[in-house]
Amino acid sequence: MIITKKRDFKELMENIKNYKSFFLLGCSECATLCGTGGEPELKAMKETLEAEGKSVTGTFVAKTGCQVLGTKVELKPFKEALDKTDCIIVMSCGAGTQSAVELYEDKPVFPANDSLFLGNMTRLQFFDERCSLCGKCILDKTGGICPITACPKGLLNGPCGGCKDGHCEISPDIKCAWVRIYERMKKLDRLQELCEVTLEAKDWSASQKPRTLVTREEKKK
Amino acid sequence: MSFREILNSGKFAVTAEVGPPKGTDIKEMIHHMELLKGKLDAVNVTDNQSAVMRICSIAVCKIAMEHGLEPILQMTCRDRNRIGLQSDLLGANILGIKNVLCMTGDHVSAGDHKGAKPVYDIESVQLLNAVDGLNKGKDMSGNDLKGATDFFQGAVVTPEANPIEPQLMKFEKKVRAGANFFQTQAIYDIEKFKEFMKHARKFPVKILAGFVVLKSAGMANFLNNNVPGIRVPQTLIDELKAAGKEKALDTGMNITARHIKQLRDEKICDGVHIMAIGMEDKVPMIMEKAGLI
Repeated sequence: MIITKKRDFKELMENIKNYKSFFLLGCSECATLCGTGGEPELKAMKETLEAEGKSVTGTFVAKTGCQVLGTKVELKPFKEALDKTDCIIVMSCGAGTQSAVELYEDKPVFPANDSLFLGNMTRLQFFDERCSLCGKCILDKTGGICPITACPKGLLNGPCGGCKDGHCEISPDIKCAWVRIYERMKKLDRLQELCEVTLEAKDWSASQKPRTLVTREEKKK
Repeated sequence: MSFREILNSGKFAVTAEVGPPKGTDIKEMIHHMELLKGKLDAVNVTDNQSAVMRICSIAVCKIAMEHGLEPILQMTCRDRNRIGLQSDLLGANILGIKNVLCMTGDHVSAGDHKGAKPVYDIESVQLLNAVDGLNKGKDMSGNDLKGATDFFQGAVVTPEANPIEPQLMKFEKKVRAGANFFQTQAIYDIEKFKEFMKHARKFPVKILAGFVVLKSAGMANFLNNNVPGIRVPQTLIDELKAAGKEKALDTGMNITARHIKQLRDEKICDGVHIMAIGMEDKVPMIMEKAGLI
């Protein structure tokens, strides 16, 4: 999921200082799990804004905020509240924010959250980054642990000299990705394949931005 | 004889390092170069070491040559992508720089520009492959070069890494990628280093053992606690303590000299690399004590 955290409230207030009324848009997926854009957070934001002397014309938690057309349909019943509002505050990720930008061309849209990374939830309110969306998966070669993400240097062929007692030079809280990979491949009895293969320089063109993908087959006329 | 010829002839090689300063005042650095001239087989020029921004390595390599020293260009993958690295390698080669040490490089979080974007487009093994390619007249995309390079390329290894197995895996990948010589992280335990050498001797590469002079027992403890891959045995820490504050540096230099002498006398490795870290002026004295000059 996309991991978000609330933006500094003062910054948000600075963004919206010239506006009086707001529509709050959350998301029931990642932002709800992150505690940044579910029902409780929208309610709290409404109360905070009202305490600051602002008005809230409506609130809605979209099913999947990054799904543009679905969100458009879901928001139809809120037309009046959306027409009335000076601007929209989106309490999900940067993708959700830009869905609103696409749907409401003449309304200013502001993000309430910072989007951090694609993460795994390991337990409630604990999130880890494990995949960098590099566009060309190498997990088949590294025992299922991604060194592009788990190693701060993204090394592809083994640990650097900064590995100290199995931990990273960046922080003793980070276990060396390459020690983890090595140990796992050893356990799987796949060390030979790990040691014998030198991974070539990565082709970063697979992560050339902005990326698009169409998976729908065109219907034959 | 060039550094390459010395290693290939089987002569015991001695290298040290010069750290480029931060700023354009290079008087002290040139003074150090003059002290080292004629005593070393080559001098490493560090590449923004510890991720602290300084004069670039290539410029200082050129100045080292002008002052009678053969440079080893240290190249890290932290600050340049593959276009920048190859371009700098070509540039270095036409300036007459023949030795290159390929490293990944300390992370920017260790340095003085912590907000910088670390590059790591490629890493040490792939950089060695790239140098090998340039030597054969091809760039990393397989394009023909108008004139190949003639680098003598090396790499680094940490003989006391914990755990050691993944480090040895990478060492072997570096050998396969064309490393001719290795300069090691600082070593303090000759018996343990011998174990590493037993493994390293299976490969056709030259090994130069790394040395960092201990200035005090406190420094030894600091290295043990903070620097990955360095382990100073308690016996040496006790020796420094017993020497007292005033004699600690002398004792540290004696320890280094004693170890160098042992490596050379017992033909344990192919040379030594003395990392003076701010004490470049002491390198000739250490070499004298070790019987190298």
